[in-house]
Amino acid sequence: MTRIELENLEEVGRKHREKLARYEGLLLVCTGTGCVSAGAFSIRDELRALLERHKLQKKWLVVPTGCNGFCAMGPILVVQPAGIFYQKLGPKDLARIVEEHLLGGKPVRSLLHKDAASGEVVPRMADIPFFAKQQLIALRNKGLVDPESIASAISFGTYGALRKALQGMKPAEVLAEVKRSGIRGRGGAGFPTGLKWESCVEAVARTGKPPVVVCNADEGDPGAFMDRSIIETDPHAVLEGMCLGAYAVGAREGFVYIRKEYPLALERLEKAMAEARKHGLLGERILGTHFSFDIRIHRGAGAFVCGESTALMASMEGRVGEPRAKYVHNVESGYQGRPTVLNNVETWANIPVIVGKGGAAFAAIGSGDVSQSPWNGSSGTKVFSLVGNIRNTGLVEVPMGIRLREIIFDIGGGIHGGRKFKAVQTGGPSGGCIPAELLDLEVDFDNLTKAGSMMGSGGMIVMDDRTCMVDVAKYFVDFLKDESCGKCTPCREGLIGVSEMLGRITRGEGTPELLDELERTCRVMASASLCQLGATAPNPVLSTLRYFRDEYLAHIEKRKCPAGVCKELIRYQITKACTGCGVCARQCPQKCITGEKKKLHVIDRKNCIRCGICRDVCKFDAVRVS
Amino acid sequence: MSGTTTSPDKVPAVEVEIDGHKVEVPEGTTLLAAARKAGVRIPTLCSHPAVEPYGACRVCITEIEVRGRKRLVTACNYPVREPLKAFTESDETRQQRRGVLSLMLARWPNVPAVRVLAEKHGAKPPAYRHPLRNEATDACILCGLCVRACSEMAWEDIIAFAGRGAGRRVMMPFGEPSERCTGCGTCAYICPTGAIKVHDEQNRPVDPARIRKYGFRLTQEMTLLDDQQCQMRRVGTAHLVEIMDAYDLLPTHNYKFGKHPDTPKIASHVWKTFVRQNVPDGCWAGCQMSCAKAVEDFVPRTGPYQGQKVLVDGPEYETVAGCGSNIGVFDPHDILEINFYCDTYGIDTISFGTATAFAMECFEAGILDTEKTGGLELRFGNGTAALELLHQMSRGEGFGVIVGQGVAEMKRIFAEKFGGDPAFLRDIGMEVKGLEYSEYVSKESLAQQGGYAMALKGPQHDEAWLIFMDMVNKQLPTFEKKAEALHYFPMWRTWFGLMGLCKLPWNDVEPEDNAKYPEPNKVPGHVEGYINFWAGMTGQEVTIDDIIRMSERVYNFQRVFNLRMGKGTREWDRGPYRAMGPVTVEEYESRAERYDKQLRELVGYDPAGKSTPEKLAALRKYREEQYEGLLDAVYKRRGWTRNGIPTIETLRNLGIDYPWVVEVVRPWLEKEGAA
Amino acid sequence: MSPAITVNDEPHPWREGMTVADVLRERNFVFPLLVVSVDGVHVSRDAYGTTPVPPGAVVVVTHLVSGG
Repeated sequence: MTRIELENLEEVGRKHREKLARYEGLLLVCTGTGCVSAGAFSIRDELRALLERHKLQKKWLVVPTGCNGFCAMGPILVVQPAGIFYQKLGPKDLARIVEEHLLGGKPVRSLLHKDAASGEVVPRMADIPFFAKQQLIALRNKGLVDPESIASAISFGTYGALRKALQGMKPAEVLAEVKRSGIRGRGGAGFPTGLKWESCVEAVARTGKPPVVVCNADEGDPGAFMDRSIIETDPHAVLEGMCLGAYAVGAREGFVYIRKEYPLALERLEKAMAEARKHGLLGERILGTHFSFDIRIHRGAGAFVCGESTALMASMEGRVGEPRAKYVHNVESGYQGRPTVLNNVETWANIPVIVGKGGAAFAAIGSGDVSQSPWNGSSGTKVFSLVGNIRNTGLVEVPMGIRLREIIFDIGGGIHGGRKFKAVQTGGPSGGCIPAELLDLEVDFDNLTKAGSMMGSGGMIVMDDRTCMVDVAKYFVDFLKDESCGKCTPCREGLIGVSEMLGRITRGEGTPELLDELERTCRVMASASLCQLGATAPNPVLSTLRYFRDEYLAHIEKRKCPAGVCKELIRYQITKACTGCGVCARQCPQKCITGEKKKLHVIDRKNCIRCGICRDVCKFDAVRVS
Repeated sequence: MSGTTTSPDKVPAVEVEIDGHKVEVPEGTTLLAAARKAGVRIPTLCSHPAVEPYGACRVCITEIEVRGRKRLVTACNYPVREPLKAFTESDETRQQRRGVLSLMLARWPNVPAVRVLAEKHGAKPPAYRHPLRNEATDACILCGLCVRACSEMAWEDIIAFAGRGAGRRVMMPFGEPSERCTGCGTCAYICPTGAIKVHDEQNRPVDPARIRKYGFRLTQEMTLLDDQQCQMRRVGTAHLVEIMDAYDLLPTHNYKFGKHPDTPKIASHVWKTFVRQNVPDGCWAGCQMSCAKAVEDFVPRTGPYQGQKVLVDGPEYETVAGCGSNIGVFDPHDILEINFYCDTYGIDTISFGTATAFAMECFEAGILDTEKTGGLELRFGNGTAALELLHQMSRGEGFGVIVGQGVAEMKRIFAEKFGGDPAFLRDIGMEVKGLEYSEYVSKESLAQQGGYAMALKGPQHDEAWLIFMDMVNKQLPTFEKKAEALHYFPMWRTWFGLMGLCKLPWNDVEPEDNAKYPEPNKVPGHVEGYINFWAGMTGQEVTIDDIIRMSERVYNFQRVFNLRMGKGTREWDRGPYRAMGPVTVEEYESRAERYDKQLRELVGYDPAGKSTPEKLAALRKYREEQYEGLLDAVYKRRGWTRNGIPTIETLRNLGIDYPWVVEVVRPWLEKEGAA
Repeated sequence: MSPAITVNDEPHPWREGMTVADVLRERNFVFPLLVVSVDGVHVSRDAYGTTPVPPGAVVVVTHLVSGG
């Protein structure tokens, strides 16, 4: 199979489906980075070896897929067609699955998913609440498609929208569908994608310069891995989206700017691009038409600020990754002074569905009503990375407008370890914390902004009651202080100042004047910074001040850290619940716990570094932090 | 593009209101510039008119209202594209400005540039102690002006920011002193805090800041104006080729003509494709005119470096004209090869070009033939023969040995040995005092004829270049005016030689306001710079007259030296007739209309019905008489006798009437009856 | 008989709609460093194309010196 033309795309997909249909079933092994680091490649290889040993290789096919999403439960295996969900697998578990399930017809119950609340086994993936409540568009093929096979991608419909567009739509019609969908950028700013593309088309007409489309895969927010997963899972969806975008705005050149820290995603992307070129789905005369478009990959070099569009383009041009004033937008003059459309990975992944099924169908999902203007709502779905103190860490895609409570408790399974929900941080270092009283907030661009946070790229860091909100603010500020390019005064000096002030507050050296100064500095940063890194850097501080001011005041007025985190302000004590088992004393890195067997143990406060290991290992909950 | 090529693109105007003052500015003007036009000054720190705005310090942050919406923008780089209102002193603007200055004050409390602004706008240091607090008065405030200056003004890109956030600092690559730094000092001068220092120990100028002020001004002019003016940085002196051709001044075929239809083949746009700018070639490494250039990876087709990649240092205008049009060669490759081998052999391209042109005309006139030249077909345009001549010169073999002795010697040899007509040879041999002419056609400018033939070292135009003033501007209509020009300019230009300075920065770039001065040819704005250079170096205040006098003393001293060497009298101040008018029928007829008109209007001779030789003779008589009149006027202005010898009184006035000087001139003066 | 203008003391034919840029072009004054005045009023470079030359005008085009 070499170059594919418009007429035979369907056939390629059909042939692949037929080939798979010849098997009794498929063994879908999740090989996203999370599962890979837990040994998924060994699972894949061991399964293949086992099938051969049992002479089952013509009956069952191992299909390595991208990220399944339920990262807390990895390594994961899904057995099709029944959709049986195996979790937390080790290589030694596989023999049982082959023998008892594949050969014996009975799934291995001890390896299936157990519902946390009821304790019941839930054999089918479709019944597991984590999956059941999601709505997939960007991640439509997750856990199903083999990211390293273009035939697999085509069999799931990828490149079908491109064929539809090249066969019977004008570029302006493709643009119209994207506008109709109301989709807003998934990278964080939430700017309506259709308007962005339209501005590009206007700029091209005005300047006569050739446009370029760029995919921002720099994903720098700590805790965010949506884009990584999309590329590892379904790279062709992104490529198809970019082709459609290039077609709509008249671009022949495209780039993917991918951060250096994503080796597996890069590998899969390069493979996908090579395959696409080989089969005429990228490069000259795509699908045998007059439309030619190719993409080059540009790797980042470890700078968060290069996720900012103008810094990203400077980096692509070989210049220092520093932002510039955006008084003239990228769509007018961006990469090499040409009209440039920059969109996030997730945005691109949505485009084929919008063009394939029509923008109206997309607009019908989500919150608000975008029929008059995309600003009047948040259409479609959003991929979130659920991390932190949550039971079901992983990747979820939900319709905009879903309540926060549903994401955290119904899908996320609530707080890990039975502790209490305190806050959820959204939008990464540019976002803010949402407290428990806002759990019924309908998650969309505008509601999050109104609450003092922002959608951002979709990171959701869930925090329990053992989280100090001042410490959280300091964490994000310190991150940004290291990542600030340092060009403009408010961001560079402001972050140094805010970090210094938060440091003092967490050490019990805060004063009311300092708190005033903190707020003043935040205001200057918000209004006077050159780019959004600096302008949104105060958000974690301001939002925690808004909802958890009492915690700040406790640190300042009482020199106390209510959550028991800030080391200067807490001490560890062993209570009477101690049974004298001695486990804590053995684990203590400072060797500062003493006590006789079966007698109350004591912590030497002078040498205690408040690492918390004793509390973690104590089975009797006898270590108290005050 | 609107309308004809004569009208510029119409840039729409936008009306803005700054603090209530309305002004109209072209679309794209920065808010800062618009405010300046409205008479409102917005404070800045990282902005400078000579470099692109950066928008880093944020001090210029200003509240504006566009389409009913208020926003904050940095004035230095916000392009005005639609009507707006700006409020430079609103509460919001002041609060933001104070906030920014307060942040800077925390880190740099003692830097005057920051402190002054902070005090003026009511900014106080914040309530915390900045972990990187730097109490120095000359701390670097990370404004980036030096980086932009090195890149945009000096075109060197040697310093840049390294590190991120709190670790941001300015340095050379890898933190090591870069060999490529030319020490031009532009970064030091543009630095607002004094963080970059220039060490002056070696020359110990009295007032370096005074010198640097004018030096920086020149750098700024080169940065902002060179591209619209002479493009010295991009193409160097070669920009003159097509211009001289347009004015009929490009020496062609041994100065017979002033233009050629093939000139486009060797015009500046051609050289742009060959050369790479800014390759230091021995000129002072910090020079901001930076007009040196070189062609890389050139492969000669002849000679000892045949087939190898070499670097060609050039070409300058003189080489393109002398080793190109003047010898009829319009192949850039041959010109470059001649340039290369002249440099390699240590031969001056002007002398080579003019001498070879002479030999070629002699060949075409039949005075030489291939037997005499050892087989070389020395016709105009034969680049291969010219190159062979050059190689022969270096080897000391063949006909090259003869040509290599120069025009003066060739005239003698061709007359004595080859039977050439001495009068003809004298007329077309372009040399004076033994030096070959440099590459401008002085035929139609009496002032330039004097400028060349009277020059002390021989016909080198570094003493005077008056062709435009004389021929085109018609600014020197009388002998007296010509004589005055032939006094001022040689004296002014000689001064550069005395100082060890290149004269190109004086007039190969002009200040933007040069046109406003009464004598723009003198570029008074730059003369001021050089006066301040002298004062800054020596501590001695001088006027232009003092400077002229400095040169006059040396010049007259040199004249006496010429006299002692036997070439200091009137007869040595005359050039060949080719430099003054048409020698041959061919030349006359190439400009017949012009020459006929002159005969009619200036000579009072009616050319109608006359033969060309007759007209030649009439014109010649007139021009030679004119030249003698010029000599008289110039000598008088210079305080020399009719024979061109400085009088004792002149020497005394200049303070160079030393006994050994007087000893040289006295016998001559007595012979003339002018002692 | 069309009225003439003077350019650097020499007569030059005039025509309707003539601008400074036209004069420079017709006289082949391609040198970049020029100072132009029309009837004693200085004309800046960016106005060459739009500044009209009236009949009988005295145009002075001073070439500054450069080169070599």
